[in-house]
Amino acid sequence: MKRFVLILVALFAVPAFANEPEGHAEPSGPVDKKKETADFILHHVADDTVFEMEIPFPPYHLPAIHIADAFSFLKFERTPGACDGHAPAGFESFPSLGLFLNGCWDLRPTKAILMMWVACAVLFSLLFLGRKRDQNGVPRGVLAHLIEVLALFVRDEIAVPNLGKEEGKRYTPYLTSLFFFILAIDWLGLIPGMFAATGVVTVTAALAIITFILIQVAGIRSAGLGGYLKHLTGGVPAFLWPIMIPVEVIGLFTKPFALLVRLFANMLGGHMVVFFLLSLIFVWTIGAAAVALPLTVAIFCLEIFVGILQAYLFTLLTSLFIGQGVAMGHHAHGDDHAH
Amino acid sequence: MNLLILASNSFTDVKPGLIIWTWITFIIVLIILRRFAWGPLLSAVEGREKNITNAIESAKRERAEAEKLLGEQKTAIAAARQEAADAVRKTQADMEKFREELMSKARKEADSLKLDAQRAINDERVKAIAELKGEAAKLSIAIAEKLLNERLDDAKHQALAQQFVQDLGKKQTPQA
Repeated sequence: MKRFVLILVALFAVPAFANEPEGHAEPSGPVDKKKETADFILHHVADDTVFEMEIPFPPYHLPAIHIADAFSFLKFERTPGACDGHAPAGFESFPSLGLFLNGCWDLRPTKAILMMWVACAVLFSLLFLGRKRDQNGVPRGVLAHLIEVLALFVRDEIAVPNLGKEEGKRYTPYLTSLFFFILAIDWLGLIPGMFAATGVVTVTAALAIITFILIQVAGIRSAGLGGYLKHLTGGVPAFLWPIMIPVEVIGLFTKPFALLVRLFANMLGGHMVVFFLLSLIFVWTIGAAAVALPLTVAIFCLEIFVGILQAYLFTLLTSLFIGQGVAMGHHAHGDDHAH
Repeated sequence: MNLLILASNSFTDVKPGLIIWTWITFIIVLIILRRFAWGPLLSAVEGREKNITNAIESAKRERAEAEKLLGEQKTAIAAARQEAADAVRKTQADMEKFREELMSKARKEADSLKLDAQRAINDERVKAIAELKGEAAKLSIAIAEKLLNERLDDAKHQALAQQFVQDLGKKQTPQA
């Protein structure tokens, strides 16, 4: 929660920094360190079409990978000039979504996708290296043991307790994949120069949408469409339905929404804190390093833990929500459901 | 004001293209991992778990069986011991009986032998007495002949001889 507040502060700090130079700074004047730092941090943690191996502060820029240029054929303009305009009214918070609906189908991969692919490549190679087993099916080597411990942890501590033995077995591959996918992205993002794709709201939203669909499918499959719709009435008398149904429908969306915000905010916040602490050295004096460096190391270690914790939480809550969907069919109809 | 600016920055920007790419990536990862990672891993683990359960089950079963066998063996041993004891007792009884039989038979045989011997002794004695009587008579006749030959006319001697013979007969008669 603290971290979330920090992000908000950071977000609101942008205009504060942004407004300053307009007042007094000339182009030839001294560099506004605060503004530059904030810009750098925000630039680093935000998704972009260009991937740069960043070395702090210009002019030391390494050559960047221009992902968008390489995939320029994936940008479709349904109506000419749709991509040039600003976001349509009502979509100020989601400019890309507004443009998309207006006919600008921009399907080019970004930095987040590139990092996701790198994370997947790392994940695949680690799983490949850790595939060895002896003839009894016992893993051989530290890596194989580690993978099995994590996978069995997901199965025995996440899937089975929330979904039951039968359904748990069905969803275990999905949950394990989700766990390892998020974990790989989280941890890859911690390597300096890399970028955490889970710190981008779109990525977590995409994962949360899949979870949302799974929850509904599980509910409909176990309770039937009728039972599923009946569940939306919350089991109250008919005259209360106008109140109850909107509440229940909102409830459907809040669960995955909480998932996506939690993961995104934690990853984004952690990375920003690391950068803020390091920036103190440049914004104040070099002496700030005495405080900033140990703190950064501490936060970094915390981030390693947060990475696996958030992967665990996302997986756990996904399985919990799917479990609620599965449980719909097991309740007697008209039961009161605790939400 | 702040909200508007928050709105225009890139953190809340949900990019449809990125969503689609995330889905594609995640679904490919899901399929690949399911096929090549979790499938083999989970089946290996399940196989192992099954093996372990089976091993425990069979160990339990074998233990129960062993205990049953042990019980059976114990009863069998007890029965055998009982049987052996019975056999010994029976043998002893048989021996006793046999010995008694043997003894009684021997005794009977000895008795009959004794009887036979007594009878034979008696017969022999009777025969001997009879022979002796015959001999005595012959002797007395011979004596009488001698006496008669020598002193026939001696009436006194004749009366004596007669007397002697009579006494001899009297003396022998009660013993016969």
